[in-house]
Amino acid sequence: MKRRVLALTAIGVAGVMSLTACGSSSSSSSGSSGGNVTIKLLAADYGTAGTSNSTQAYWQGLAATFHKTHPNITVQVQTIAWTNWAQVATMIQDKQYPDILEGDAPQQFAADGLLYKLTDIMSASTVSNLIPVFAKQEDGTDGVAYGAPFTTSARGLFYNKKLFAAAKIANPPQTWADIQNDAAKIKALGGGDIGYGLPLGPEEAQGESYLWMLGNGGGYVDSTGKYAINQAANVQTFQFLNTLVKSGATEPGPASTNRQQMWDAFAAGQVGMVGGSGALIPDIVKNGKLTTSDYGVVPMPGKNAPLTQTLGVHDDVVGFKQGGHADQIKQFLDFVYSDQNQIAFDQEYDLLPATTSASAALSAKDPVAAGFLKNVPNSVVYPSNTNWNTVLAKLKQTLGTAASDNASSVLNSLQTFATSNQ
Amino acid sequence: MTQSTQAGLLEPAPGSDGTPRPTARTVGGGRRVLRALAPLPWITPATALILFVVIWPVVSMFLTSRQHFDSMGFDQGSAGWGNFTKLFDEPDLPGVLVRTVIWVVAVVGLTILISLGVAQMFNKQFPGRKVARWALIAPWAASVVMTSIVFKWMLNPSNGTILVLMHDLGFMKNYNSVNWLSQQTPAFIWEIVVAIFVSVPFTTYALLAGLQGVPEDVYEACRLDGAGSVRTYWSITLPLLRPALLVAALINIMNVFNSFPIIYEMTGGGPGNQTSTTTLFMYNTQQTSIGEAAAMSVVNFGFIIVVVLFFLRASRWNTAED
Repeated sequence: MKRRVLALTAIGVAGVMSLTACGSSSSSSSGSSGGNVTIKLLAADYGTAGTSNSTQAYWQGLAATFHKTHPNITVQVQTIAWTNWAQVATMIQDKQYPDILEGDAPQQFAADGLLYKLTDIMSASTVSNLIPVFAKQEDGTDGVAYGAPFTTSARGLFYNKKLFAAAKIANPPQTWADIQNDAAKIKALGGGDIGYGLPLGPEEAQGESYLWMLGNGGGYVDSTGKYAINQAANVQTFQFLNTLVKSGATEPGPASTNRQQMWDAFAAGQVGMVGGSGALIPDIVKNGKLTTSDYGVVPMPGKNAPLTQTLGVHDDVVGFKQGGHADQIKQFLDFVYSDQNQIAFDQEYDLLPATTSASAALSAKDPVAAGFLKNVPNSVVYPSNTNWNTVLAKLKQTLGTAASDNASSVLNSLQTFATSNQ
Repeated sequence: MTQSTQAGLLEPAPGSDGTPRPTARTVGGGRRVLRALAPLPWITPATALILFVVIWPVVSMFLTSRQHFDSMGFDQGSAGWGNFTKLFDEPDLPGVLVRTVIWVVAVVGLTILISLGVAQMFNKQFPGRKVARWALIAPWAASVVMTSIVFKWMLNPSNGTILVLMHDLGFMKNYNSVNWLSQQTPAFIWEIVVAIFVSVPFTTYALLAGLQGVPEDVYEACRLDGAGSVRTYWSITLPLLRPALLVAALINIMNVFNSFPIIYEMTGGGPGNQTSTTTLFMYNTQQTSIGEAAAMSVVNFGFIIVVVLFFLRASRWNTAED
């Protein structure tokens, strides 16, 4: 008995030793092309972990295919749910660096000197294929890109055709006034349905607010890229939202209502209008209350006319320096960014590609995606100031309270926060 | 004790100079030192545990509050007292402090009042007492997070059971017309209600134990002296309950002051920070500035120390009088 335990321990020790040997050899031989190399990929899970729509399955499929053509490179995949995303920062602080990170990678990583330049980890042809408006957002303060967009989405206004018909509204809204009138009519139906779903809660207050700010020519920054959160146009926007909320056209308490709640309610057929992206479509399908002909998507209304630009958001891919696997990362990323692999991902999750050629290919075969993609090249995007991540956390918590009687004081204090925490 | 200290002063510690002197006196002194060190193996684990689990985090908290961290949590050097200045400049802070006081006083006060009544009832014989006593454990046994989420769902503006009830009874015309958890005052009141709901069981059992410890002969003597029930309660029950009351109050104050899950689950301290107490405010601040949140922790820690000292004093006064 005792001897067996000893033997097992010996095996364990040998195993650990061989593992560490393996680890050290791979990092030391990273510069050369010889030897087997394992690169670690850490990615966000866009589906449900443990099911076939988990993003783990997507990446593992890619890694397996890639390994066939590049037998000396093994890609080790780990996915993390979006709800646990804060864990990534913890891992980085603990120096558990992945080689590739896909998801939300703030500029701060680049500022902390942890990332490869994009040109080190992606070949020039792939870089030039990235949709420019998103690729530009990856530039650090030094004007050099440290990452690439991986998947994108654009916003539009979803409206419930059943409720519109019941309230005898002929056309989808084009202006703020239309939203106000249509929402009032839907509320007047008396079924307890919500006219306009206005999610200004901490989940994504910044997104919904931005869509409204844009409708009045406002935004988070001015034309020079400096914060202008309290500009007159924004104050006016939130004053309008305040009247909208007070009239009862929205759900009660928008500052505490999260996007997912409103999307769920829309999918359940209880909301007349809501701002959404393609990611809302799977919710609608899953809920089964609305068929494809029961809802429509139009550009987000502005104060006097619909937005000609939409809010485009993207998730990033970045490469961490610490493993020293630039070559291998480059080979893998070039493979990942092929049209076929991009489109496979975006069709699985109703998102949009990050490359020009994949967008063109997807537009040709998917009319819903084509509708969103039409506006993508001239998307407006979030600011990419170095402290945006900090400002964003504050905005999520506070911005919703601006849709109240003290719009200007809330926006003023946010402006002070943004400029004093540079 | 004093002897061994003197020996230690007079003689070098054994082995410190490497040449043990073979005189009888030194050997005796060494033995004495050894004897003084004898308890070490027994107290070391406990001391180490306290150092590791209590003292080290406290020290680390103080250090953190003086550091500047970027948004990814990387240390960017010393911030001096900057985090504290920033914290005290927060426009939300005064409201948060006032709310914390209301929160602690209201929850602990009402909890104790309700528990006194419930404990009194449970101390009497009545059919089904056993079942009732068991039932009271439920809110205590259930996870606080779960209880909070259940209450949040009950208050959901479109299908929460409380709202459905109000709608069906005709107090509310349409669903989605009121969202209490998004309005400062109603949200905070509901959170206080939940906090009381989860605090009452423990407090009741603490007081019940106290009540059962009051000897029956005191009541008998009281009855013989002709005291009425109010007088008995005021002059006999309450004074004899004081140790139990003090313990219950102290534990509740610390629990309620530090309580995080109820407010976090129900409103997240929002909208904005309108329903935050200092604990929630610390958490919400941590998302924008770790150092500032640590400064808030230090302030919280100071407050708890003051409360504990106050209560230690109160309880000593209590034993001295007895």
